[in-house]
Amino acid sequence: MIEGLTPPDAGDIEILGLDWKREARAIRGRIGVQLQSTSLFNKITPREALDLYGSYYPRSRSAAELLDLVQLTDKADAFHVTLSGGQMQRLALALALVNDPELVFLDEPTTGLDPQARRSLWDVVRRIKAEGRTVILTTHYMDEAEALCDRLAIMDHGRLLTAGTPLGLIQELAIPSVVELAFQGEAPDPSAFAARLGQPVTGRADLWEIPTQDPKALLPVLLEAAEGVPYQQIHVRRATLEDVFLHLTGRSLRD
Amino acid sequence: MLLLRQFRMEWKLYARDRVALFWTFAFPILMLAGFGTIFRQGSKPTLTLVVAGPAAPELLAALADTPVKPLVLAPAEAQARWKRGDTAVQLEAGRLRVNTYLAAQGQMAAQVVQQANLALQVGRAGLAPRFLPVSMESPGSGHASNYAAFLLPGLLGMNLLSMGLFSVGMVNVSYREKGKFRRLAVTPLPKWVFLAAQILHRLTVTFLQAAAMLLVGHFGFGITNQGSYVLLTLVLALGAACFMAMGFALSGFAKTSEGYAAISNAFFFPMMLLSGVYFTLDSAPRWMQQAVVALPLSPYLKALRAVFNDGAGLDGHGAGLAIVAAWTAACFLVAVKKFNWA
Repeated sequence: MIEGLTPPDAGDIEILGLDWKREARAIRGRIGVQLQSTSLFNKITPREALDLYGSYYPRSRSAAELLDLVQLTDKADAFHVTLSGGQMQRLALALALVNDPELVFLDEPTTGLDPQARRSLWDVVRRIKAEGRTVILTTHYMDEAEALCDRLAIMDHGRLLTAGTPLGLIQELAIPSVVELAFQGEAPDPSAFAARLGQPVTGRADLWEIPTQDPKALLPVLLEAAEGVPYQQIHVRRATLEDVFLHLTGRSLRD
Repeated sequence: MLLLRQFRMEWKLYARDRVALFWTFAFPILMLAGFGTIFRQGSKPTLTLVVAGPAAPELLAALADTPVKPLVLAPAEAQARWKRGDTAVQLEAGRLRVNTYLAAQGQMAAQVVQQANLALQVGRAGLAPRFLPVSMESPGSGHASNYAAFLLPGLLGMNLLSMGLFSVGMVNVSYREKGKFRRLAVTPLPKWVFLAAQILHRLTVTFLQAAAMLLVGHFGFGITNQGSYVLLTLVLALGAACFMAMGFALSGFAKTSEGYAAISNAFFFPMMLLSGVYFTLDSAPRWMQQAVVALPLSPYLKALRAVFNDGAGLDGHGAGLAIVAAWTAACFLVAVKKFNWA
């Protein structure tokens, strides 16, 4: 809706001081959007794609400059179909920047990329930030949000659950640590164990998770209660954004 | 200008797509060349007459203007050829031998030789023989003397149909499916510019394709448009409009390329097979002919052939063209209503 793809059922959307209803073209000229998947012709080259999309705007940045920004200069004249997934995403990112936008929307830019490609895309996003643009990034990866965002909001089922800085949200949650019991295969039902321990326990996949303020005090009690439970490993970890998300939504991550 | 730039880009990318180029330009020409050559009924066949040993030079000279080409061989060589069964007719020692296995060609050639021989004798007697003039025609399409001439307008119509259903309809469904339209929707490019560039590109492709077919028809098969080129262009433009509108309309009904393939084939195959592209339906059952007339390709091809093959105007094709125009209008309305970007 903010990108202007879906008209709102009710209310107004104002962006950069402009109204979507009346000034759609002006807004489109000042925002940059990278959609979840960007489909281009198989046989267009990155340089041509940037020139073409640049021609749609009154003001555009040069293809060479953008290719340099997303580190695709050596692939500038290769056909789109020959690029790797990470390179395609970096090109999509460059396309979102072609009009020198003040506001950039990135929709799950690293979904489906290998760790190296993700890291190199993160570098590009940091560079865009450093150029002084506002980046609105949606992601399912909490580590990505933690690494890239200055401010973040957690949405679930179209409702805004919370907003703040990553660190602030983690601290706000007041569960600094989580003890994990890892099982070989599917974790058994934790309810009997939770009753013995006198603490809530969440079971998911091959893990039991026990949130705690004080791991040092919990661990001996926990080990005793876990006598006879066929767990494989035990970890203590500091709470992350993922815990904030799970705590707020009460469910596991999903689409 | 934005539209021109977009149009040029469409062409640039299209020219890189070898598969599309093959299906658009090479394939219809191969069809025409292939079928046109196989069914070359109307063009003059050449028949070989094996002449064993020396032959009267006057007779050989008299055969020069006929489809019979004499092949003079030494008697032994001619006998070997005859034994192998390769010879349809042989002239030896003042008589004609016709091979029963190749009677059709043999007898035809024998008759031609017979006639030439008779004419020679009559000429020697001081008389000038006069033959009755013969012309070969195909009823219903006055000047279409061979199959290629029938096929060419059929293929022109087929090209329009596949351009509309596949190059327009299928392409739009896949653009929508892959999110290409969404990507364009977040830019300030007006949508009509994109669509207009696409339509202009397809139109230029269609007319180039038709021109290529006409050139091959002309130089390869001696087929020329018998009617006015203005009329031919108008009829082609009507067809392009009709089938492009159909592609746009059908693309509004499918979410995925697979779904579109099913829908479009339900229109494509009946039209391709039953509209008289490759053969006339004059011998088909009446109900089938009538059912097929309801689809636009059949009346369209009738009108196209009337112009191209018969050099006629469009008189008498009003009802047929009205059907085509009705399809065009209906498809256009459906397209406007159903076409969506996301």
